[in-house]
Amino acid sequence: MRNIFLIIAVMAGLIYAQDKPGESRFLLRGYAHSGLEMREDASTFVGGSFNPIFLWRQSQKLLFEAELEIEVEGGETNIGLEYANMAYILHSYAILRLGKFLLPFGAFAEKLHPAWINRMPTKPLGFGHDGVGPARGLGVELRGGIPVGVAKMSYSVYVINGPVLNDGSDPTLEPEEAGKVNYEPTGELESENKAIGGRVSLLPFSNSSMEIGLSGFYSNVGQKGTEYEDVTLFAYALDFSFVKKVSFLSGVIDIKAQYNAENVSDAYYTNYEDSSRYTFKNNSSSYYGQLSYRPVNLGSDFFNSLEIVGRYSALSFPKGALWEADQTQVAVGINYWIDWRNVIKLTYQVTDAGAHGEESGEGQESRDAVFIHWAFGF
Amino acid sequence: MKKYKFKIIAGIFLLMTVALFIASCAASKPIADKPGALLWGENCVRCHNAPSPSAFSDTQWEAIGKHMRVRANLTEDEVNKIVEFLSMANQ
Repeated sequence: MRNIFLIIAVMAGLIYAQDKPGESRFLLRGYAHSGLEMREDASTFVGGSFNPIFLWRQSQKLLFEAELEIEVEGGETNIGLEYANMAYILHSYAILRLGKFLLPFGAFAEKLHPAWINRMPTKPLGFGHDGVGPARGLGVELRGGIPVGVAKMSYSVYVINGPVLNDGSDPTLEPEEAGKVNYEPTGELESENKAIGGRVSLLPFSNSSMEIGLSGFYSNVGQKGTEYEDVTLFAYALDFSFVKKVSFLSGVIDIKAQYNAENVSDAYYTNYEDSSRYTFKNNSSSYYGQLSYRPVNLGSDFFNSLEIVGRYSALSFPKGALWEADQTQVAVGINYWIDWRNVIKLTYQVTDAGAHGEESGEGQESRDAVFIHWAFGF
Repeated sequence: MKKYKFKIIAGIFLLMTVALFIASCAASKPIADKPGALLWGENCVRCHNAPSPSAFSDTQWEAIGKHMRVRANLTEDEVNKIVEFLSMANQ
């Protein structure tokens, strides 16, 4: 509670400061969302989260950005730091960033996840916390956008504190997830390695309607001095975006897709239940494809504000691991845009746990859910 | 089966994109020759709806422009033109 009062006091002070003239530019932005989730067995109000974003433009070359995530979960209020970093514009095509930042591993984690931007009330399978591939990191990054004739490209290279392999040796740290990579290690799982990564993207058309991106990420993930110290992780992502107003459809078509893959080198782990040794091909992947259509030129404010959206996503964790999974999800919905940053989403989603759930004795699991969600950008 | 599913979905996306692109082709224009209003319409919608110019003041647009230059990898020329347009259109 004390933290919340402190945050409110800081925000109030900074909002007051923005009325003062001067070279500095401060802005409080962010987003909030909340809604109702209805399943066969229960209906629950979900979300209830508020993400203030602090922007401080110190000068023409310096920018500070930070985002907090304040959410209600299990009756408790949790506060987390999504990112906090300083950016310095070196020249027209190069920007240096230092701090904690969203990683350009694909496009979803960095640009498309905020509730008022994401067309769905949920994230695709494998694109949330504990997903496939990194989402944020603490380190240094060089990035920029470069015109290439009538086309354009962007790039990013970074070095961050590396992720850590859960080798299953510590019974207090989810030993059933041995082989899984923890991208944001906390507490006892302190990172000793550095990870390198980057993304290049090409926008081949002069109207910037299409973007194709390729991302890579590499790190040692084993703890030094253990049998896992040579275990490495290589992850990569391919992302695609196409947004275009199409005259014969009287509207805007928006296509988004991304494929994430994670390959961890071979290692033997100990089963925490019977102490037996086992190994598996430690490859994970997830992908999604999303299509939305908004008829912005139908001549009626109501119909112009509607948007139809569909998404298919899939997640695969390694076969043979104690945490193996093979899931697919289909979501379809209709959104109503109150204005350009306020949206009400009505979504029907079906998640299929797949064959592995059946093999493990849990039976074929298919969970239907209906969401009514309001997302608000400010 | 899963591989087939992925290939089918990828194929559908590819075909749709090619068809839509061909159907909506317009003459190419170098970014340097484009006005701020056009760049605003083309770039913002890559991630979110194009913002209303009246949503923020001139000084706020300056901070947002800098933020988008970093986050969306917009070029210096694009950001300057878009911020100039938004600052003029929010009168």
